[in-house]
Amino acid sequence: MKIAYYPGCAAHGLSKDVDIATRKVAEVLGVELVEVPDWNCCGGGFYDEYNEVGHVALNLRNLSQVEKMGLQKMVTPCSVCLHSHRLATYKYKEDKDIKKKVEKRLEGTSVKYDGKADAEHIVWVLIRDVGLENIKKHVKKPLTGLRVGTYYGCQMLRPEQIMGFEKAYSPTSLSELVAVTGATPVPFPTMTSCCGFPLIGSNPKGALKLAFNVLNGAKQSGADLVIHPCSLCHLQLDSLQLKVKAEFNVNWTMPAIYVTQLLGLSFGFSPEEIGIGKLAIEVLRSKGVI
Amino acid sequence: MAQSQEEEVILKVKRFNPERGFWWAEYKLKVDKFTQFTEALRRIKSEQDPTLSYRASCHMAVCGSCGMKINGEPRLACKTLVLDVAKKYNNNVIIIEPMDYFKPIKDLIVDWDEFYERMFKVKPRLYQAKEVLEGKAEHRLKPEDQRELWKFAQCIWCGLCVSACPAVVIDQQFLGPAAHAKGYRFLADPRDTITEERMKILIDSSWRCTYCYQCFNVCPRDIEPVTAIKKTRSFTKLYKDKSEVAEIGERHIEAIHESISKTGKLQEAEVYVKAYGVLQSLIDLVYMSGAGKLKYMLVQSKPVQNIKEIKKILGGE
Ligand code: SF4
Ligand code: SF4
Ligand code: FES
Repeated sequence: MKIAYYPGCAAHGLSKDVDIATRKVAEVLGVELVEVPDWNCCGGGFYDEYNEVGHVALNLRNLSQVEKMGLQKMVTPCSVCLHSHRLATYKYKEDKDIKKKVEKRLEGTSVKYDGKADAEHIVWVLIRDVGLENIKKHVKKPLTGLRVGTYYGCQMLRPEQIMGFEKAYSPTSLSELVAVTGATPVPFPTMTSCCGFPLIGSNPKGALKLAFNVLNGAKQSGADLVIHPCSLCHLQLDSLQLKVKAEFNVNWTMPAIYVTQLLGLSFGFSPEEIGIGKLAIEVLRSKGVI
Repeated sequence: MAQSQEEEVILKVKRFNPERGFWWAEYKLKVDKFTQFTEALRRIKSEQDPTLSYRASCHMAVCGSCGMKINGEPRLACKTLVLDVAKKYNNNVIIIEPMDYFKPIKDLIVDWDEFYERMFKVKPRLYQAKEVLEGKAEHRLKPEDQRELWKFAQCIWCGLCVSACPAVVIDQQFLGPAAHAKGYRFLADPRDTITEERMKILIDSSWRCTYCYQCFNVCPRDIEPVTAIKKTRSFTKLYKDKSEVAEIGERHIEAIHESISKTGKLQEAEVYVKAYGVLQSLIDLVYMSGAGKLKYMLVQSKPVQNIKEIKKILGGE
């Protein structure tokens, strides 16, 4: 199976481990991820407020590259990139004024978007196109005994009418993937709440509070660590985890790893090979998983 | 026409009164494919339990009084069909709760006072020019301006978006999604005369939204309050008296714009330092290095080759 791959800027930056694990897991599963040639930033959830027409046009440029590849699906590991592209195509199709302005803006460029290609999340492709049964066949090292909090966050789920893969108020995709690895999925009350990343600039205290609510929700429900589906949640929940810990003065950590990192572990990769961070390694070791 | 088929459902209702606190009650009833939740509740109240309290008035998604949580989703009870929910969740047992965030008064009825206060804070009416009020002049709205405002004018004050919003819970200074939708509707109205005052009311608050899209997801009128907030933020550059929150936010978005215009990508490290300053960046660096993330700090995305095209797309050159 050949699918266009859009890593997004974060997965080629601070969340590089998201990209590393996703490529490795896809390879094992026989999914050929072909990186979109000369892709550009999607605007990351912020740029539409600064330049609405530019935002739609930027996202269409990536999707037009996908159409030129002869493909229709562009898979991304980042919920924010997913959201940005899907919102752009939604606006382009629904809002005549925007469509007109975007077309004007794109005149004389190489961008030709026929409305066929759209962004999808790697989780959707894994469940719908690869299939849980197929994934199960590659599990060499079942993660028995590990309790994994399933954190979905915002952008992969909402707005439900535009994301469209699962129910925004009772998603199950991550639980299904965890179950395949042999670990125990732990849904928790704040699993669809915001991680606070977009607030880190303007209201840092509020941002950390939202992150704490997520991590604490998983903790209270008895998870050993959490998985998530987003390169930016990764920054907030994993890279800045110790900041959250210091702010709320707690003596526990709740490492957050990317969903394909968990799959990779069960496929037999070492934590180092798939970029799993220090905090998670400690927990995995204490649970006897590695 | 064939008789619509009836199905039995069980509604589990979270009840409340100040003396007893919360408890659950279960009601069994038969509904057909046309039965809305307000109708189901009316029948329970008149046929099974007169003590059950809920609000509803128009039964047609206009008055905004019947907001509640149905299987965890903030919904208008009158706009939601019982069997649609049973089908979506593949379960004829349906859970009904009062909206989150609001103070409960009795059963599904919650206290609206704070919501109204927020709505009135944004001065939800048009302040026209004196000449217009005196009948000496006309101020017509152009169709394109009307199109811009129309969506945000449709709010029915149901409060569902506020009940779902995480930012109102953690931040007293945030006005909330509904008030922002209403506020933007007047901020962007060319006939309004108190734009400066509106910016003062709305801009700082607009930078306190966390872009979680809950409000977009739940609004029964498809208003997209978060879009109104995004549009309000774009007024920041016109406003002089910015709060710190607005200033950092603006620096952040400028840094994003600069990064994309220059390289077509978002170079995180540069954006971080530009938006939050060297000191904050260094502090975060220490935390990140503790989490073993230092090795990724300097990873840089390859710039887009066709950067001229990116510049054109962004509206330059
Ligand atoms: S997007 Fe903003 S206003 Fe809407 S629910 Fe989230 S935080 Fe609240
Ligand atoms: S914006 Fe939508 S959800 Fe919010 S109060 Fe208005 S109608 Fe209700
Ligand atoms: S009863 Fe009026 S909105 Fe539902």
